[in-house]
Amino acid sequence: MTQPVRAFGARTILSHGGGDVAVSRHEIERMTHIKTIADAPLSPAEPAEGRRRGIWSRLGPSNPAVFPWVLMAPTLIVLFAIGVYPFLYALYIAGHNVILSKPYVPRFFVGLYQYQAVIQDPEFWSALKTTIWFTVQAVFIEFWLGLGLALLFQRRLLGAGIMRVFILIPMILPPLVAALIWRYMFYPGAGLVTYYGGGVTRALGWGEIPFLSDPTIAFHTLVFVDVWEWTPFMFLMMSAGLASIPRQPYEAAEIDGASAWRVFWTITMPLLRPAMLIAVVIRTMDAFRTYELIVVMTRGGPGNATTTLNVYLTKTGLEFFDASKAAAISLVMMMVIIVMSFVFIRALRSRTETAE
Amino acid sequence: MAHPDTSIVSPDAPPVQRNWWVYLVLAAVCVINFLPYLWMVMTGFMDNATATGQSPQWVFTPSVEAFRFLIFEKGIMENFLNSLVVSLASTFFSVTFGMFCAYAIARYDFGGRDDVSFWVLTNRMMPPVAVLIPIFVTFQTMKLLDTLVGLIILYTAMQLPFVVWMLTGYFRDIPRRYEESAMVDGDTWFQAFRKVTLPLMAPSISATAIFVMILSWNEFAFATFLTSTEAKTLPPAIMAYSIGANISWNVLGAAVVLVTAPLILFVLVLQRQLISGLSQGVIRK
Repeated sequence: MTQPVRAFGARTILSHGGGDVAVSRHEIERMTHIKTIADAPLSPAEPAEGRRRGIWSRLGPSNPAVFPWVLMAPTLIVLFAIGVYPFLYALYIAGHNVILSKPYVPRFFVGLYQYQAVIQDPEFWSALKTTIWFTVQAVFIEFWLGLGLALLFQRRLLGAGIMRVFILIPMILPPLVAALIWRYMFYPGAGLVTYYGGGVTRALGWGEIPFLSDPTIAFHTLVFVDVWEWTPFMFLMMSAGLASIPRQPYEAAEIDGASAWRVFWTITMPLLRPAMLIAVVIRTMDAFRTYELIVVMTRGGPGNATTTLNVYLTKTGLEFFDASKAAAISLVMMMVIIVMSFVFIRALRSRTETAE
Repeated sequence: MAHPDTSIVSPDAPPVQRNWWVYLVLAAVCVINFLPYLWMVMTGFMDNATATGQSPQWVFTPSVEAFRFLIFEKGIMENFLNSLVVSLASTFFSVTFGMFCAYAIARYDFGGRDDVSFWVLTNRMMPPVAVLIPIFVTFQTMKLLDTLVGLIILYTAMQLPFVVWMLTGYFRDIPRRYEESAMVDGDTWFQAFRKVTLPLMAPSISATAIFVMILSWNEFAFATFLTSTEAKTLPPAIMAYSIGANISWNVLGAAVVLVTAPLILFVLVLQRQLISGLSQGVIRK
């Protein structure tokens, strides 16, 4: 017979024969006529003798309606101070004319002028295009390389442990350091890549490759460095995903004599989908806000070939000191990110539901 | 030791790979991933003449010229100390606050719980640069620019969503009945929390703390714009000292050694705690 073992929030784990089955609380109560303890307060079974009276006991653990809010208060206060307040303040700044270098200019309300200025600025659209294009390219390449590496590590390899450490190094380094290292590697006349690569290309009669001074090549150089830095992350996530795939479908496919290619597309890829989605979502969010890499390697140049939204924003706000326009940019950017994350969360939810 | 060859292998595990091309590809990947960092570290131990030479010198007599320059002429140890104070303090506060918040979300079924946990997470989605302008202006008016306190508050807030998110999952994995039985034995809530829940959570909490500390240690964008002389941390200091009008590569290399040494040491020393903390769930069920 089924009997409730313990209750966690709205779900209860039942020991049902051998395995654990999660069922909703109401179902259990209907089935067994036993009131589950999910709502029971987590308080001392018998009141301690010297329990303090007054306001402290009303806020204390014996009051399950208030106590969680007491526990959460410090977090919520800090997040409000550094998360919500700046947001509201950004709304205020974007509605006025604030120029940081000229505090004596009287501030007045300008309505939606700043947003209009942003929308009409061709540099904004070029920055948005650069950001999206950079994110899409980098995440696409990282995904396939990471998946490929993870699949290679599925085989039994000699020295897999030590190789894994070497492969993960770029991810451990601070983003700033990764950017500095590659600035060094690509520096004309000093770096390893320019020295040895330049030797090869000169022998072929192409001359030196302008890794960071040609607009198109500089963009691809940045994508390359991002791929270098974050493919290990994809590798890690894909390895974890692959490790959680059960073996049975593969055995069935082996009996049926399916080709490796077919096994990959019909078994591995569908079963890996939840892990893939999470990894791609995290990487996309991070690639979208890449900052150190671009500032260190190209400062958005040459021209504005590598100016992403982040770089455009900091240039406007803290180099040209046009705080109001920068605030408007950041609000537009937030909107883009909110839309993006809603799409992602929806995709994640539907995927994980189908995976269950 | 978690060596792959000594781990338990199921009977149908594939034989050890002997295709040479697999190893060739992996060796190339290892070299590409490790060599740039190695070269940067080597450059840090070159003297100026070697570092600026026409061709890369793979064999040279090591020198501490660049380190001496950074430490005695630029006073980089002060920045090192700032970084240490800021990351330790912000880790302490974010883990302490976040721990209680995560506990509340994991253990209590109160109205609006899902909304709160979602709201906490959305704070993480914002690109830091997007809130840089209002925070800069706020710090300016509150006289928090270029102070360690300002950075500590900021980093605490930045890391809290991550801490709450990680620890909520771990708290859910710890059976509630352990605490309940402690309270039946007459302990107050806080005693039960301290004596039963915290020790069980220790590996997860320390793993989370390590991650948070590394993130604070590496933070660059805010540190660049919110500090100038007094509270400058290591990452912006590296930019200021080594990327000037003319870059001295050996100084840059030495700075990279200084900023990554604690990370590498940390990861090497605490590797086992990290792995055990992340894969906690041993006492599940």
